[in-house]
Amino acid sequence: MKNALKFVVWLSVGVAGAGALGGIALHRGEPLDATWFVVAAVCCYMVAYRLYSAFLAARLLALDDARATPAEIHDDGRDFVPTNKWVLFGHHFAAIAGPGPLVGPTLAAQFGYLPGTLWLIGGAALAGCVQDFIILFCSIRRDGKTLGQMVRDEVSARGGFIAQIAVLAIMVILLAVVALVVVNALKSSPWGTFTLAATIPIALLLGVYLRFIRPGRVLEASLFGVALVLFAVVAGQWVAESPSWARAFTFSGVSLAFVIIAYGFAAAVLPVWLLLAPRDYLSAFIKTGAIFSLAAGILFVRPHMMMPPLTRFIDGTGPVFAGKIFPFCFITIACGAISGFHSLISSGTTPKMILRESHARLIGYGAMLLESFVGVMAMVAACAMPPGVYFAINSPPSIVGATPEIAAGTISSWGYHLDAQTMAQLAHSVGEQTLWNRAGGAPSLAVGMAQIFSSTIGGERLLSIWYHFAIMFEALFILTVLDAGTRVGRFMVQELGGRVWKPLGRTGWMPGILLSSAVIVGMWGYFLYQGVVDPLGGINSLWPLFGISNQLLASVALVLATTILLKMKRLRWIWVTLVPMAWLVAVTMTASYQKIFDASPNLGFLSKADALAAQIVAGQIPAAKIAETYRLIFNQRLDAAVTGVLAVMILVLLLEALRQWYAILSGRREAVLQEAPYVRTQWAEGFPGTVHGDD
Amino acid sequence: MPFERAAKFAQRRLRRFWRGLREWCGDSAYERYLRARGRQDAGRGALSAEEFYVEQINRRYSRPNRCC
Repeated sequence: MKNALKFVVWLSVGVAGAGALGGIALHRGEPLDATWFVVAAVCCYMVAYRLYSAFLAARLLALDDARATPAEIHDDGRDFVPTNKWVLFGHHFAAIAGPGPLVGPTLAAQFGYLPGTLWLIGGAALAGCVQDFIILFCSIRRDGKTLGQMVRDEVSARGGFIAQIAVLAIMVILLAVVALVVVNALKSSPWGTFTLAATIPIALLLGVYLRFIRPGRVLEASLFGVALVLFAVVAGQWVAESPSWARAFTFSGVSLAFVIIAYGFAAAVLPVWLLLAPRDYLSAFIKTGAIFSLAAGILFVRPHMMMPPLTRFIDGTGPVFAGKIFPFCFITIACGAISGFHSLISSGTTPKMILRESHARLIGYGAMLLESFVGVMAMVAACAMPPGVYFAINSPPSIVGATPEIAAGTISSWGYHLDAQTMAQLAHSVGEQTLWNRAGGAPSLAVGMAQIFSSTIGGERLLSIWYHFAIMFEALFILTVLDAGTRVGRFMVQELGGRVWKPLGRTGWMPGILLSSAVIVGMWGYFLYQGVVDPLGGINSLWPLFGISNQLLASVALVLATTILLKMKRLRWIWVTLVPMAWLVAVTMTASYQKIFDASPNLGFLSKADALAAQIVAGQIPAAKIAETYRLIFNQRLDAAVTGVLAVMILVLLLEALRQWYAILSGRREAVLQEAPYVRTQWAEGFPGTVHGDD
Repeated sequence: MPFERAAKFAQRRLRRFWRGLREWCGDSAYERYLRARGRQDAGRGALSAEEFYVEQINRRYSRPNRCC
């Protein structure tokens, strides 16, 4: 009886999910209600979790709760800390959810809401969650080893080195592109710039409090800090309204880029307790709060999707970024569907805290489902505004035209009606000077979020406060990624550099710290600067580059997972990782090829360089701009080279793995797993934090 | 009676949530550490709260812990 009831409940969840998804896919005409998206996503996630992740846990990985986890074996109260599964879920989620799932879907909304939504839901259930879950499992079985170490042990030494270089390259591109998102959100916005600048002294204050006054009392300090940050959001309005103060906080894109580069260097060199850690605490609280409020707001307001399911830009002529739906939809939305970067969190930090192997299912698979849901909400927020407004915010002037009137004309001619007056009014009501040409996803998401929030609380009157709250929230945690990433990047440079020149590897040596910080900041700073001065808006070249590198890291993780499954003799279920891996390799290789060699200058780096060179030869470039144009040409070729090198590295890794697979399958090499030895748990059944029978 | 039971239930839930929240944000990390030390060698030579805090965040921010 109970089983029959269970069956009926799960059947109805499945039917509801499939129905909602079908509704979204086939619906035409009247704008669709956002509830459809929430129902489709939540039901699909429930079914995927209940069925697919249970299959992975029981059949594929055979999770064993009688086996002691690294947290139990090494319990030292520092790295290895047995942690309640829901607490660890929160930890893991806070670590994996960054700006990616918010920015990616917002940019991919240029194809319409359908492709992005389907990829977010399907990609997460079948690829992203699988990657996070299996890598977490592999790392638990190997004492919390990192991705690079596992690739070295299980695939090959060369593979491990490639993974290490790939991680560094991804870090550089990631930091550049997220910094660019902040620059585009804050340029000529005194309100936003003031609010974000205010978070620095607030973080310093918290840092001193947590170090000297009440060491380690994170909760009280963070709540106090959050209150101060919210006050700074409101105070930003007074700054924006005062002409002299507003002038002091109004920056151009280029000067903001230099400020952020200097900030990144300082954050990497200063002690962690002073700036980086307190900012991270603030950001974790605000991020979690804002995501839950957005979910509540969407459910309460139930906005209508103004964007069509598919736009004309699926043909590859999109103004936000160039390229067809395949492969670029799957490159643009990386985080939210599958993100290679997660494999760095799933190996290293989380596996050292897990209590029981069975918890990996909730933490690895479940946390990624939640991140995918964040992506779906970002898609809803971006598509809930009129498409004309969306394209106005996200298109560079070189495509739509430099003045509001011309740009509004161009966008209207695409079939998305817009007049310049609407944009001026919207900018005024959110408290900005202009909303034109703010590519990067943050401002359009902030407009969407502000419209949803203000329909819940405050109405039109609070629109500007909500807008700047949303900008602050995104910029705050982007800067956290920037600080933390620059510091980690510094360690990577030191480690790699230490192989060439010993002293550089010493982490406490000041000249080494300064040099390696300068190297990493210099690298992402260069790409950032290049993005800021790019006439196509920078996002057009940098975001795909970031997506490609992130998906390539995911391919590395899936190559590793497939190798391990093969060694575990799970040949029958090998498709679980093999299919997502093949898909990602196909997507990234096609995208890399097109980004390098495509004949259209908006898409191909090399043809853009050639087109610029031809303009110089034809005398179409004014003498004053020739040097600048040569720099643009160099940047395009550099981007092409970076993409090419990344793609080749992954192909080499893939070949290494294929050779290894062939040797194992043909019986020429014995499949030896490099797992840590089996230790039986000493904890009694029902140890605090274990919940049995919770599938 | 049912009211009392419900109040107790709510209290237990709230306490659990509070404990979880403290653990999630790192507020109770030092208590945790002292407990782990106590189990191993009777807590001898344990770090002070301040030393522990600095040492712990130095390590945490030396590896990827914030994602895109």
